Amino acid sequence: MAETLLNIEGLKTHFFTEAGIVKAVDGISFNLKKGESLGLVGESGSGKTVTALSVLRIVPKPGKITDGKIEFNDENLLKKTEKEMQKIRGSKIAIIFQDPSSSLNPVYTVGTQLRDVIMAHQTVSKTEARKKTIEILEVVGLPDAETRMREYPHQFSGGMKQRVAIARALACEPTLLFADEPTTNLDVTIQAQVLNLLNDLKKKLGMSLVMITHDMGIIAEMTTRIVVLYAGRVCEIAETHDLFERPRHPYTEALLAAVPRLDMRKTLRVIPGNIPNLIEPPSGCRFHPRCNYAKQTCKEDIPVLEEIESGHFVACHEWQNITLKGERSH
Amino acid sequence: MFRYIVRRLLYMIPVFLGISIISFFVMYAAGDPLNIIRLGRPNITQETIDALKVYYGLDKPIPIQYLTWLTNLLQFNFGKSLYGGRPVNFLIGSWVWETVKLQLISILLAFAISIPIGINSAKKQYSKQDIAVTSISLFGVSMPTFWLGLILIIIFSFQLGWLPSAGAYGAPYLWWDNPVLDEIAHLILPVTVLVYVMLAQNIRLIRANMLEILRSDYILAARASGLSERKVVYKYALRNAIGPVITYLGISLGAIIAGAPMTEYVFNWPGLGRRYVDAAMRLDFPLVMGINMVITVMTLIATLIIDICYVYIDPRIRLR
Ligand SMILES: Nc1ncnc2c1ncn2[C@@H]1O[C@H](COP(=O)(O)OP(=O)(O)O)[C@@H](O)[C@H]1O
Ligand code: SF4
Ligand SMILES: [Mg+2]
Repeated sequence: MAETLLNIEGLKTHFFTEAGIVKAVDGISFNLKKGESLGLVGESGSGKTVTALSVLRIVPKPGKITDGKIEFNDENLLKKTEKEMQKIRGSKIAIIFQDPSSSLNPVYTVGTQLRDVIMAHQTVSKTEARKKTIEILEVVGLPDAETRMREYPHQFSGGMKQRVAIARALACEPTLLFADEPTTNLDVTIQAQVLNLLNDLKKKLGMSLVMITHDMGIIAEMTTRIVVLYAGRVCEIAETHDLFERPRHPYTEALLAAVPRLDMRKTLRVIPGNIPNLIEPPSGCRFHPRCNYAKQTCKEDIPVLEEIESGHFVACHEWQNITLKGERSH
Repeated sequence: MFRYIVRRLLYMIPVFLGISIISFFVMYAAGDPLNIIRLGRPNITQETIDALKVYYGLDKPIPIQYLTWLTNLLQFNFGKSLYGGRPVNFLIGSWVWETVKLQLISILLAFAISIPIGINSAKKQYSKQDIAVTSISLFGVSMPTFWLGLILIIIFSFQLGWLPSAGAYGAPYLWWDNPVLDEIAHLILPVTVLVYVMLAQNIRLIRANMLEILRSDYILAARASGLSERKVVYKYALRNAIGPVITYLGISLGAIIAGAPMTEYVFNWPGLGRRYVDAAMRLDFPLVMGINMVITVMTLIATLIIDICYVYIDPRIRLR
C-alpha cells in the first residue's frame, strides 16, 4: 500500500460570525495516499472548500481552525509558523479555484502573476522565471504563450483563464493539488478539455489530487476513492466503484439518485430539503431531517465513522438494517 | 495612447470656449464694475467714468467685448486689471505657481499618508486603531476648512509662535533665516488643512476598497500561492484599491480647486484662489475672466492626467 501523503484527523474549522458560530467543518477525518486521486463530494455548503482552505491554512476571517490535526508528509501543518506555511503553499500544496475570472488578479499580466509565484519559491533570476513561465503555460496548452503572457486576465476566455490558473498552481510542481470545482463555471465542451488536462498533468507530475465537486459524473471519471461530506462531517469513504455500486450511507444514495443519466433521459433530481443551518445544526445525525431511514436514535446520537469493510467507512446508525440503491439501479 | 491624448486635447477647445462664454455673460449679469468704482470714489466725474468705459472697452456691446477678449486671449493677452491697470497674465503667473505648489504638495502628501493608514485599518478591521481612525476621519469629513485653519493659526502662530500665520514667504525671524525653511514654514499650516480634509475621505475610501478586495478570490489565490503577506497586500491588493481613489480624486478635482480659495483666504496665501475672491468682489472683469480660464485649463489638464493614471493602474479600462 502506498504511503500516506495527507492525513486529516478531527479537523474543526468554525466561523465566528455575529449571527453565531458557523460549524462549517466539524470533526472531519480522512487521508490521501501518494499519487492518489481522491474525490471530495457533497452539496454546496457542505464544507468542501473550507476543508481545502484549512489544509493550506488560509481560512478567511472570521474563520478559525479550532481543533484537529493535518499531517502532510508526517508533519502537522497546524504546528507550523506562518513563514513555514508560505513556503509550502504554492510549492508543495496548491489549489485551483472554482471561478478563474475572479481568482486571477485583474490588474497584473498573466506572466507577472506566474512569475511572482515562481520567484516566491525558487531562487531564480527574472529571465529564468520568465522562461519557466512560458514553459508552464505551454504545458497547460496555452497557444502562443510568449505573447499571451503579456496579456491581462480579461483578455482570455474562461477556459483559457482556468488553464492559466492551473499553470499558476502547478508552476512549482506541487505534490498535492486541490481542484475546487475547477469546471463548474465553464462551458460543457471546455469542461472535458480541462478535466483531461488535469488528468494528464497529474500523471506527468506524479502528484496527488483532491478533486472537489458536487458533480457525481465528474467524480466517477476523475477519482479512485471518494469522501462524502455532509454539513461539515464525513458520511462515507469508499473506493469510487464501490461507492457507486454499493453506497452504505443514505446521503450517498440520495446524491447518486440526483445524478442526471444521459441514457435514461432523466433530468437532474435534487435531494429534497435544504442543507441545514450550521450555526445550530440538527442534533445527532445531521442528515436526519432529510433522511428516509431516520429512527429515534438518529436524532439523539452522533453516528461515528466506522470501517465496515476494508477501506469502506460509514457514519450511520442504520447501515446494517438498510439496503441502498447504487448508481446502476436508478 | 498618443492619439487619445491628442483627441482629448482637441476636445478641450469647445469645453474651453463654452465655459468662457458662460462665465463672460454671467459676469456681466452680476453687475457693473464702474458702479463699484463710483462707490469707492463718490466725487468722481461722469467724464472720468466715460473715459474709463472707453479705455476698458466697456462701452461696446457685450458680444463684441467677448470677441475682443477672445482675440486678445489667443495672443496671450488677458487684458488689464480694472484696479491698478496691470496686465492680468503678469499677475496670474505667480499666483498660479503658488496655488499649484500648495495643491500638489497637499494631494501627494494626502495620498502618502492615507494609503498605509487605510490599509492598516482594513487589515485590522474593528481593532482599536481602526475604530480610532474611522472616527477621526469622520470628524475630518465634517469639519469646516476655515474653522480648522483658524484654530491652527490661533494655536501655532499666535500662542506658540512657531509658524507664520499668513503669506507664503518672509518671516525672517522664524526658522533660522533660511529661505527654503521659511517657505516650508509657511506651507505647513495651509498644507495641514488641505491634507486633513482630503485625508479623511481618502482613508475612508482606501479602507472600504481594501476591505472588499482583501476578501476577493484573487487575494485568496495569491495567499494560496505562497506569496508573502507584504506582496499580497502592497502589490496584489493595493493596486486594485487605489483605482477608485484616483477616480474620486478626478471627480472631486473641481471641488478641490474651487475649495482652495477658502484655505487661501484664511492663510492670506498669495495664490489664485484668494485673488479670485478679491477680484470677484470688486467685479474686476478681466482678472476674473483670466483666473476663470486658468482654472478651467488646470482642471481639464488634471482630469486628463488622472484618466491616464487610471488606465495605467487598471488595464481593463480602455481608452476611447
Ligand atoms: N467567510 C465565511 N464566513 C462565514 N461562513 C462561511 C464563510 N465561508 C464559508 N462559510 C460557511 O461554511 C460552510 C461551508 O462552506 P464551503 O466550504 O464553501 O462549502 P462548499 O465548498 O462545500 O460548497 C457554508 O455553510 C458557509 O456558510
Ligand atoms: S444515521 Fe440515521 S439519519 Fe443519519 S443517515 Fe443514517 S439513518 Fe439517516
Ligand atoms: Mg465550494
